[in-house]
Amino acid sequence: MVTPLELIKKKKAEAINRIINDGYLSMKRVYVGMATCEIAAGSKEVMDVFKDAIKNGVSGMFLSQKGCVGRCNLEPTVEVVEEGKIPVKYVKVTPAKAKDIIERHIKKGEVIKEWTVQ
Amino acid sequence: MGMGEYVITICSGSNCEGRNSRALESVIAKELAKRGLADTVTVSVSGCLGMCGKGPVVIVNPQYTIYNYVTENDIPEIIEEHVCKGKPVARLAVVEDHLFNRFYRVFGDVKFFSKQMRIALRNCGIIDPENLDAYLSVRGYEALAKVLTNMAPQEVIAEVKKAGLRGRGGAGFPTGVKWELTAKAKKEDKVVICNADEGDPGAFMDRSAIEGDPHTVLEGIIIGGYAVGAKKGYVYIRAEYPLAIKRLERAIDDARKAGFLGNNIMGSDFSFDVEIKLGAGAFVCGEETALIHSIEGSRGMPRPRPPYPSEEGLFEKPTLINNVETWANIPVVILDGAEWFSSIGTPTSKGTKVFALAGKVKNTGLVEVPMGTTIREIVYDIGGGIPNGKKIKSVQTGGPSGGCLTERDLDTKIDYESLAKAGSIMGSGGMIVIDEDSCMVKMAKFFLEFTQNESCGKCTPCREGTKRMLEILTRITEGKGVEGDIEKLERLGNMIKKASLCGLGQSAPNPVLSTIKNFREEYEEHISGGKCRAGECATFLSYEITDKCVGCTSCKRVCSAKAISGEPKKKHTIDPDKCTRCGLCYSTCKFKAITKLNDRRKS
Repeated sequence: MVTPLELIKKKKAEAINRIINDGYLSMKRVYVGMATCEIAAGSKEVMDVFKDAIKNGVSGMFLSQKGCVGRCNLEPTVEVVEEGKIPVKYVKVTPAKAKDIIERHIKKGEVIKEWTVQ
Repeated sequence: MGMGEYVITICSGSNCEGRNSRALESVIAKELAKRGLADTVTVSVSGCLGMCGKGPVVIVNPQYTIYNYVTENDIPEIIEEHVCKGKPVARLAVVEDHLFNRFYRVFGDVKFFSKQMRIALRNCGIIDPENLDAYLSVRGYEALAKVLTNMAPQEVIAEVKKAGLRGRGGAGFPTGVKWELTAKAKKEDKVVICNADEGDPGAFMDRSAIEGDPHTVLEGIIIGGYAVGAKKGYVYIRAEYPLAIKRLERAIDDARKAGFLGNNIMGSDFSFDVEIKLGAGAFVCGEETALIHSIEGSRGMPRPRPPYPSEEGLFEKPTLINNVETWANIPVVILDGAEWFSSIGTPTSKGTKVFALAGKVKNTGLVEVPMGTTIREIVYDIGGGIPNGKKIKSVQTGGPSGGCLTERDLDTKIDYESLAKAGSIMGSGGMIVIDEDSCMVKMAKFFLEFTQNESCGKCTPCREGTKRMLEILTRITEGKGVEGDIEKLERLGNMIKKASLCGLGQSAPNPVLSTIKNFREEYEEHISGGKCRAGECATFLSYEITDKCVGCTSCKRVCSAKAISGEPKKKHTIDPDKCTRCGLCYSTCKFKAITKLNDRRKS
């Protein structure tokens, strides 16, 4: 019989496989804060910008929501994580900034330093 | 920060520091400078990284390579091989798959986070809370699988006891002991409850934990159910948290589909399910017996204990109640082990505590720190200090049940006992920083107003006592305080504490009593000095127009009390008898011609 521990290791491997197939390792991972506090600060509109971009054919982006990391007065926050690089942490992101992040960072790889956490 | 290709983190926890970790900092800086890397590599000094036995510890990101037992002689090799050539130094690296501190890979280079240690919030802001795969990929439900495979219920309880975990709802009762009492209760049919009725003004730890990582809380509850022999669990959560409820519902659904809830969990003979019960947001329902009444469908009112819920709780069944944060710690206790967990913290308080840092501090937010961190470190190293160059006056912990600490208490190490000794409580984790512009009497009044509103009315000391205390506080802040009011507040407060039925009344006077103890002179100034030093209590203010006045008439036009008179282009005057001290003229005047005095006698 399969023990619970063996079962969970299998489930974990399958889960990781699915995530990798979705492009977790090969693409730029974009995490948008979507807790109550983040949404109140305007993160839903930011999320919509990223969602629309994917709908409109922007590739190379693994989009995910995330909970609140606890940095209240800098919300909405967005992280762009790329395998093998230091994660870039954008703060006080607006829909306009999100569009720029897509154009400059996601498409061209430029980190917009002045919008990152200090 | 975070712009370099690499981030080198040096642990400055007390163990690593004892082994001279701080000396590494200058060696690293020197080696980087020698290679012209000083600008591209970020060096950050962290709080305890939780690997005390292996110190000094240095972490190189982005790969999250952990180097242990690092000496000054190892630094050139690490810089040359890892930073310059991109090849981690295998000789010094150690492979660890801890659950705690996962957030470090993303946020470790930011000062606000680098002094934190995250156990309960380890996945918050890191993973998608609505995706079971994301949770599984960070060893989700492995702790549950471990206990179902290898551990008897009593072994799980022994592990939680050995970890030294104590209730994070604020009272600090040893969690393992609570589990043991419930497990040993004679009746067969048992239940577990997750108390998510977070009610302290300004506190949002539980909301964030559930919204950011609902599966962790759920996994903790299921493990608790297994340990005490329960088949049913409840999450009591306030209806004001719709997103948290939605994510928790989703997590429960997903867990059921994956076989982590329901009959024969993961193929074992353990069956367990969880139901969400919504509360209407009464503060008293955070008290365990009132909470039980509320789930049963009765009015949320406490009852005397004993019998304790562990003997006779929900529907008279033995009941285990733990707070959200306590539950979120359980998977880490099981997977990272009791031995590791108990190595973090102080002799009496183990692990970490989450605080909602708010008030007059530059960086507000959720902070999880190891027990034993000082309040000064939280306010200054993490919080970034007081904005606008103001002086700190007090730190309030424990919300409406807690107390106000003074500047002298800033070096208090956070644990249940030392906070109590300093005159406050750990509480569920509210931490409000107060600067010199805030009036302590008004602060105490704010909290008492809250508890007085939330008093359920069952017992007289709480219902009537808090009302009388509030009346006295109100008249003091209105400048109508009389000699003897302070003593009356003290007498009433101590009586309410002793005679009230539940924790709400027993702790309601704390904000008043602690501010009287630490800031008695402010009360005295209000009563006999005619003064509010912070300038917050309007009745003590007086406004005067100086010779700078050019007679623009804008103050006269905004004054709804018609207290200002004067001809255009001539100096205006304020009639103090008509003035309501609203301050509108003061903020309207473009010529800074109006002065504000916070001492009525001087006017």
